[in-house]
Amino acid sequence: MASPCEVLIKTQDKIFCEKLAQLTTSEVSRIENKYSRYKTTNLLSQINSSNGGSIEIDNETFQLLNYAKEIFDLSDGLFDISSGVLGKFWTFKNQIHIPDNQDIKKALSQIGFNKINYTGKNISLPKGMKIDFGGIGKEYAVDQVAKILNAHCKIKSDNFLVNLGGDLFAKDYNNTDDELQNEAWKVGLENPKSGYINLLNGAVATSGTSQRSFIQNGKTYSHLLNPKTGWPIENPPSSVTCFAETCVLAGTYSSLAMLQGSDAESFLESEEIEHILVR
Amino acid sequence: MQLINKHNSLKNSANDSKRISLKSKLAIAATGLLSATATETIANEATDEGWYFSASVLAYSETDRVSAVEVIFNAETTIDETGKLNIKFVLDSLTGASANGAITQNTLQTFSRPSGNGQYNIAAGTTPLDDTFKDTRAQLNLSWSNLLSPESDYQYTLGTNISKEYDFQSISLSAELAKGFNQKNTTISGGFSVAAEEYNPKGSTPIGLTSMAIRDNYPTEDVYDLAFDATRGSTSEAINSAELLLGWTQVVNRSTLMQFNYGYADKSGYLTDPFKIVSVVNASGITQDYIYENRPESRTQHSLFGLVKKHLNESIIDFSYRFTSDDWEIDTHTLDLHWKLFADGGSFWEPHVRFYQQSAADFYSTYLDQSEEVPPFISADYRIGEMSSITLGLKYGFEVNKDQRAEVRLEYYRQTPKSVGTERVAGLENLDLYPELDAVYLQVNYYF
Repeated sequence: MASPCEVLIKTQDKIFCEKLAQLTTSEVSRIENKYSRYKTTNLLSQINSSNGGSIEIDNETFQLLNYAKEIFDLSDGLFDISSGVLGKFWTFKNQIHIPDNQDIKKALSQIGFNKINYTGKNISLPKGMKIDFGGIGKEYAVDQVAKILNAHCKIKSDNFLVNLGGDLFAKDYNNTDDELQNEAWKVGLENPKSGYINLLNGAVATSGTSQRSFIQNGKTYSHLLNPKTGWPIENPPSSVTCFAETCVLAGTYSSLAMLQGSDAESFLESEEIEHILVR
Repeated sequence: MQLINKHNSLKNSANDSKRISLKSKLAIAATGLLSATATETIANEATDEGWYFSASVLAYSETDRVSAVEVIFNAETTIDETGKLNIKFVLDSLTGASANGAITQNTLQTFSRPSGNGQYNIAAGTTPLDDTFKDTRAQLNLSWSNLLSPESDYQYTLGTNISKEYDFQSISLSAELAKGFNQKNTTISGGFSVAAEEYNPKGSTPIGLTSMAIRDNYPTEDVYDLAFDATRGSTSEAINSAELLLGWTQVVNRSTLMQFNYGYADKSGYLTDPFKIVSVVNASGITQDYIYENRPESRTQHSLFGLVKKHLNESIIDFSYRFTSDDWEIDTHTLDLHWKLFADGGSFWEPHVRFYQQSAADFYSTYLDQSEEVPPFISADYRIGEMSSITLGLKYGFEVNKDQRAEVRLEYYRQTPKSVGTERVAGLENLDLYPELDAVYLQVNYYF
């Protein structure tokens, strides 16, 4: 997951915790190993090296593709899991010059979720296209871990919090009064620093530009790329934190908000999404 | 820290039905995704309160000396969320030969067996080893820990240990109380234990400092038996001990933990090793006699221990130092380093290095010079002599499946006894009086 991950459970039972630690870390490892783009033999790499051929997929992958399609449609193509190839033009660490528009146009021909053919049993990508679930993978893992924890923690009403690199889910079984701040998990926010929220129930996910942007000719270019143009989104917020019932949802809201660039605030308000936005 | 209020979204007065339905469409899609992908782990889960077991087999082998096999079975369970019960059963079996304390000679040497029935010969130029002991030991440990009350910061632990061998048995009881401070970042503990051991050797214990009667030196069996019986002491000996342990565990930061202990131990009773002898040599280094060793009847020891454990990116490293000092003048230093490196699929590699250094007991002597007066306490047991040792090991752990895991550990141990600086009697220069000891450990653990 490339970020610090933790599970907090309000219990004194050490064996219980050790068992859940094993179950949850196994599940996170399973998802990471299956969908990580840094592995060379997993399902994702098989799909991405299929060179136009058909690859067999399982139900989990089918469901993730369905969800990715839904976000693709609802965002008018701004959220596209096949847009990763644009990354090679925009490194953002030591970016010296702006890439050539012709190169970007060529890359665009290999992007577009609508070009993917998939069914419940298999998938085939056009040649040269690569997909990755990085945009929803971590949030999905949070929700899967939350499911495991819920199955075990509800028996004795042990409240818990899952935190995978800043994407969170908390569950309160005791119908604690919201005002009882001692019972809630205190979650610190990186942006702005020294702020925190009290979290009892629900999911939190954050999208942010933080270190990944550069300035040239007076313009700020963020790491968020528009998959329809190949260029960075202009004027995205510094960070958007969204609250929802599940982490996948919170993560999708914050990603979509970032993609709106300068319209992030109005998007979140018109959709009535609970959020914290920093410019 | 400031509390930041959740940003409340404004109600939208405009009737943009397409945009408002985005949120609900996404919600439906997300619910669909999460309910369709049921995790396997939930489907197969039974109840939570269960027993956790582990089984281990250890094989230990010294080059040309002692070999041991040990089997350990451990069961653990939680009761009422905070109570923990642990049951451990150990069975071990030793064979082989152990140094009897006599020094090497340029001629054949003959020794009596500890029981007096029979004798054994040691070739010239080799370290005298006694292979009489072949023993099996069984041990049972029980421990129970719990909080004083459900919301208490105090945790108590009670334990008992029973051990039985052919000629030896022991029982011990222990109690410990620990308290957490600073949101459990600090733990202070105090513990006390007492033990009673009884030793009933075949052939009784020898009277310390008496000469070993050897059959070859006597004309008849009867005369030998008389002489041997004269060296016999009591049929039963007892050892009692009490120990105090104070501990401080401190979480330093998210990735670092430290622990410090102070221990005080007091042992009294029959502390001599009834199998060990001391060679009495003349001015030319030739053994004239063997006398049974004799150790004081009490031993008091202080110990200090410090450990630091740090979680790095993909590994955990821990380093510890232990110092002990007792009234037998034995001081020890132990430096221990473990580095657990995590690999794919829940597996790990853990290299291990350990240095050990010990100073000799003040009554330790490699041999006794005939011209010297026999001191009240003397022992040539290399295990209380001056020595250093190094251990190098590697452990590999892996997950068999989601409920079971296993570990394999291989360690190499080399012990180097050192001279205590006693003037070497002429004639002993070409003999190895401080033989090195090499040993290998192989252990397999299975958790289920």
